[in-house]
Amino acid sequence: MKVTLIVGTDKGGFRFTSEDRRTWRMEEPLFKGWKVTTSARSPAGRWFLGTSSLVYGAAIHVSDDGVEWRQIDKEKSPSYPEGGIHKLNQIWTIHADKDRCLAGVDTAGLFQSTDHGESWQPVSALNDHETRPKWFPGNGGLCAHTILADADNPNRIWCGISAVGAWRSDDGGASWQSKNEGIRCVIEDKDLKDIGYCVHSMVQDPADPNTIYRQDHTGMFRTKNAGDSWEKIESGLASWFGFPIAMDPKTKTLFSFPMESDEYRMPVDGKFRVYRSADGGESWEALGEGLPSTPNYSGVLRSAMAIDALDPCGVYIGSTDGRVYASADLGDTWQALPATLPRVMSVHAYTED
Amino acid sequence: MAKVRIELPTVLSQVVGGARVLEANGETLQAVFADAFSQCPALEVHLVDEAGVLREHVLCFLNDENTRWAESFDRPVSDGDRITILQAVSGG
Repeated sequence: MKVTLIVGTDKGGFRFTSEDRRTWRMEEPLFKGWKVTTSARSPAGRWFLGTSSLVYGAAIHVSDDGVEWRQIDKEKSPSYPEGGIHKLNQIWTIHADKDRCLAGVDTAGLFQSTDHGESWQPVSALNDHETRPKWFPGNGGLCAHTILADADNPNRIWCGISAVGAWRSDDGGASWQSKNEGIRCVIEDKDLKDIGYCVHSMVQDPADPNTIYRQDHTGMFRTKNAGDSWEKIESGLASWFGFPIAMDPKTKTLFSFPMESDEYRMPVDGKFRVYRSADGGESWEALGEGLPSTPNYSGVLRSAMAIDALDPCGVYIGSTDGRVYASADLGDTWQALPATLPRVMSVHAYTED
Repeated sequence: MAKVRIELPTVLSQVVGGARVLEANGETLQAVFADAFSQCPALEVHLVDEAGVLREHVLCFLNDENTRWAESFDRPVSDGDRITILQAVSGG
């Protein structure tokens, strides 16, 4: 089995491939000089990349072979109305299903495609939600960064927006409800009590889509009822604060990267450690063999943690100081990939025969 | 109708098919850009924002003149004119 990593950084996308998950080959940069914010691959094999630039804006690129890329044109790309107050600054995430693709963007909004990403339409019920004028950005901007879907119920979708909260639609995106009960509000509005929650990332149990794990600005949480209520699951974590969370769907093992508080946002005491839970978040243990052993005050951003589809699963993280670490044994041991990159924005792992 | 040369920075050329130079036709600056965008629709995404104007950090020179202070792109161009696109980001 071959594993391909696409590592999105502040200055390009970097693709690593491996047949054995020990020896990695790095290819030429994708979109050198551009911020590569996310990648995805649909079940049909179409590749997606999100790019952005302070100067030249954001775009989605597609490829059917991973070699030749084609940018989606302006009229068909995610975009806000000309002359309006919202601007498309960044493609944060792309969720590519067989029949539907969803893109989460900054300024916060969702866009949907039903033609494999050739054209995108706004999910207006969320983008123009009645609370929208009061949405307030977090440190990473006002961004829709996480999309989850129920494979058995295409009408049910979740979206995470910083610093607004988690939202769920039960009717294919036609209406949305705030789903943050049990979580502390960080930016309280005088009147609107459904917003001001700062979800950082979420991961879903594919065998039980109602079970979702959430790294939030205010802690690590779990829901077993599709987001109707959340409970804290922080036993053993070095800190309740952090950004990424990932799950091996086969063993349901969870991975996170705690960091010291929202004020500092760096590994606690300079110890660069991934944390693992083998019991659905009831308890967490630190993993460090092969990770930096000297003091390290970088970090791991919300999209910079990935899992592959092999058994045992591979775990991959990218750091803000440009290193990528890989584990081929469910996080027991790690190796640094042979490169130092710009700040890592995203890591995605793709497995093929 | 004037034929105008548009020079692009390398970081931009890689998303519009690799060309560093485009040739576009028109009687005005606006018409030249419209022709360039019809040849290369991806270019419009990167040069024009949601307000329908040049992005804040895009610099556009018509020959040696910075068009930022031009009142309008509805101004005549001449055969052989050169448009240079640069990024207006300096310092650290």
